[in-house]
Amino acid sequence: MSNWNRTQSWSPESNGTADGSPSPYEPELGSLPSTGEDGANVNSTGTTTVGITTDDGVVIATDMRASLGGRFVSNKNVQKVEQIHPTAALTLVGSVGGAQSFIRTLRSEVDLFEARRDEQMPISALATLAGNFARGGPFRAINPILGGVDDDGSHVYSIDPAGGVMADDYTVTGSGMQLAYGLLEQEYEEGLSLADARTAAARAVHSAAERDTGSGNGVFLASVTADGVDIQGHDSFDDVI
Amino acid sequence: MQGQSQQQAYDRGITIFSPDGRLYQVEYAREAVKRGTASVGIRTPAGVVLAADRQVDSSLMEPSSVEKIHKADDHVGIASAGHVADARRLVDLARRRAQGEQLRYGQTIGVETLTRAVTDHIQEYTQTGGARPFGVALLVGGVEDGEPRLLETDPSGTDYEWQAAAIGSNRDVIQGFLEERYRPDLDLDGGLELALSALSEPEDDPVNAGDVDVATIGTDDETFRSVPEDRLESILAEIDGDESDE
Repeated sequence: MSNWNRTQSWSPESNGTADGSPSPYEPELGSLPSTGEDGANVNSTGTTTVGITTDDGVVIATDMRASLGGRFVSNKNVQKVEQIHPTAALTLVGSVGGAQSFIRTLRSEVDLFEARRDEQMPISALATLAGNFARGGPFRAINPILGGVDDDGSHVYSIDPAGGVMADDYTVTGSGMQLAYGLLEQEYEEGLSLADARTAAARAVHSAAERDTGSGNGVFLASVTADGVDIQGHDSFDDVI
Repeated sequence: MQGQSQQQAYDRGITIFSPDGRLYQVEYAREAVKRGTASVGIRTPAGVVLAADRQVDSSLMEPSSVEKIHKADDHVGIASAGHVADARRLVDLARRRAQGEQLRYGQTIGVETLTRAVTDHIQEYTQTGGARPFGVALLVGGVEDGEPRLLETDPSGTDYEWQAAAIGSNRDVIQGFLEERYRPDLDLDGGLELALSALSEPEDDPVNAGDVDVATIGTDDETFRSVPEDRLESILAEIDGDESDE
């Protein structure tokens, strides 16, 4: 009786797809939690996040408030923009837990992609993947902005909770979006420099912080260029507008 | 008797190393590749040429039913040598993996990434109890970021990249011929001619256009195209003419 007949547990297609790769809607590592979130007790970022493309790179600005349903300020010093790729950053909008897990998942995907292929993930691929995860997972209450730079230039995408991915020259998400858009519609123009875009983005968040109860307490500004991602927090808007 | 059966165990179990560190079943799978009719791949700046000899044993058989060159995606073709049925499993895996890349990242899969997915799968069948290795080698040719690429997979799950390569029967003869004749500045027609000459080399007589399966993936359009039989006939006629001149 030969040994190998007894190895019964083997199944070549146990990983979901025939080629062993994960489902396109699921991360390579870990799994998406199967339960959703109970809205009332979840920290949400309320939030205003802004992304603007320029020829030299992308500017992202976010406010610093976490709240419970926009009625109670649960944290006054939240960094809502995180680097997820050597030349890309993502904003946290909506459920804090969902957004943080989303960011960790995307970071590991970006690192695996780079390690396996010896090239950085293109921003469009990252946007597609983020859209798939938003669609396939229980990250219902997130609505982040992805901003990044690659060989094709500067990109800003908004990613909605149903997995919609839309590219734009500038975009805003979060509860203060109408206020921020009102300012950007006046101030955005083609050919804006990176420095002017930083000022416009900070002013947009400031407008929202003044009137939206879910937004406030200062601004984080990120500049994404071909050289990398630079993120700085400012308690006072006076420093940056 | 006991001693003999002990010895045979090394080549019966795929997951068992011999005392000198060999996996006999993988080596036997390479023998299966050598028994298959030859395939060649040629990389030129203008694109990749894949050509396969399909042996048709009976005049009653439809030659087109012997498939040795497969389209994996618009920009990638795969030629095989060895067990055709094993090749089809791997080709289907490659097709699914190529579409998976579109679903996951919204982008076209790279030739090397696709080949790695196939070799990862092949490797799994050299280390898992109850399995047998794939008795097939593949040539994966395509265009990636505007660059033509040509890779080979072998039954151990190793991949190699080539300028020009032969797999299957008479590999040594054909590879020697390619080493002698290959030039890095060939155009696509030159690549086609070299591929057909290489397949003709072992018999020292041009192959029949109906007995070969040929495809190209052009660098400019990044598209897999089968080469029609009348075109093969005219290239073969040219080769024949050149040889008579010598």
